[in-house]
Amino acid sequence: MIAGLILLGGGAAAGVFGSLLGLGGGILIVPMLTLGFGLPLREAVAVSLVSVIVTSSASAAVYLQRHVANLRLGMTLELFSAIGALVGGLVAFMIAERVLAGLFAALITWVAISMARRKDPPKAPVAAGAPATATETATPNATHAADGGAQAVFAAEPVDPELVHLIDVAPAPAIAAQSFAAALSGPGYRVHRLPAGMLGSVFAGLNSALLGVGGGIIKVPVMHLVMGVPLRTSTATSNMMMGITATASAVIYLLRDEIDPFVAGPICLGVFIGASAGSRLAHRVDVRILRWLFVVVLGYTAIQMAIRALGL
Amino acid sequence: MSAGARAPHGDAAFALETAVGRLLVVGTWLAMVLVLAGVVLMLLTGVDPLAHGAIPGFDAARIPADILALRPEGFLWAGIVLIIGLPIGRVFVAGVGFLAAGDRRLGLVSLLVLLVVLVSVIAALGLEG
Repeated sequence: MIAGLILLGGGAAAGVFGSLLGLGGGILIVPMLTLGFGLPLREAVAVSLVSVIVTSSASAAVYLQRHVANLRLGMTLELFSAIGALVGGLVAFMIAERVLAGLFAALITWVAISMARRKDPPKAPVAAGAPATATETATPNATHAADGGAQAVFAAEPVDPELVHLIDVAPAPAIAAQSFAAALSGPGYRVHRLPAGMLGSVFAGLNSALLGVGGGIIKVPVMHLVMGVPLRTSTATSNMMMGITATASAVIYLLRDEIDPFVAGPICLGVFIGASAGSRLAHRVDVRILRWLFVVVLGYTAIQMAIRALGL
Repeated sequence: MSAGARAPHGDAAFALETAVGRLLVVGTWLAMVLVLAGVVLMLLTGVDPLAHGAIPGFDAARIPADILALRPEGFLWAGIVLIIGLPIGRVFVAGVGFLAAGDRRLGLVSLLVLLVVLVSVIAALGLEG
């Protein structure tokens, strides 16, 4: 019974911290299950993928109802992220866990560096009781605060804000939009470089399936910086895409009996509860301190994963 | 785009996004209720998730019987299958919506996404065999 509650609490903690810091759950859940609970890496990735789908479905529900996500663009790109996930899901069973651990260590290191370099947005005064959102008061890629239950919006994975500033001052791409790309555009923006977005989506799907993460760390910058989609729409669309991307590989893990329902259940429930709570706590927590604490934790985790990869 | 802004491709797209969003809300809640029931039963029956032996293999045919017998794995599997199936349902509903609105290109894209998932299933079954 205690182990079940610990897993539930661990999932909730991953959900809270992920929501507060604008991280997807996978980057937290995989190391927690492998280094903390001793699960094989592939089983941890499988459980993480299920929690990624929960996060994606809950957030996409809100984003779509608020018409923030671009459904047409998301569905086009997710065809390619799903192809990447299909390949990644198959490759994951062909490579050694040590290789996976090494890849995960590299990913965590990148995320830790991105978080350490992240600049804080100026603090906007929030009136007591005002319905402020995480987007407005926390990180640039944090998502909207909850407005109840499954209405809670869960966090995407981080985007380097320095790159965001660069694109904000860069001239608009001069490439003439093709008719299909034009049909995927939204109000106030035009989709550019669709082939590059497709390629990025394949890579994001591969990354998701191999490492059990949402892949937003790739998709959001590609959509925003390369394709010219506004950051908020990119984040929302990426969150929506994560679901089918993770599903394409999760079915492989499911049918190969790599998903342990007794682990996946408490973790998913915990992430759902934790992310809902996190979006409500966003305005009461000093995210800067939390972020630096997290950089340290991620650094430590990266070292542990590297040790595992090297077999030391 | 500001919250509540008009969808870029008219009322049909606006309605489709709302419908797909509602499907996800209902599906997510239903999945979480099933998982919650499974977790509660797991805790009550004393199953240790970290030391219960081999992973119970997924067998869809057993789920109804396990639920009727109030076995935790029945509820957990039902919830997990619903979680994994929800994005597939989302793509299906969106694809039908696109076709109903006369957008064959996006309808085809939806079909291709579903085909990729189907290939995943076939590939997994092939690896299993």
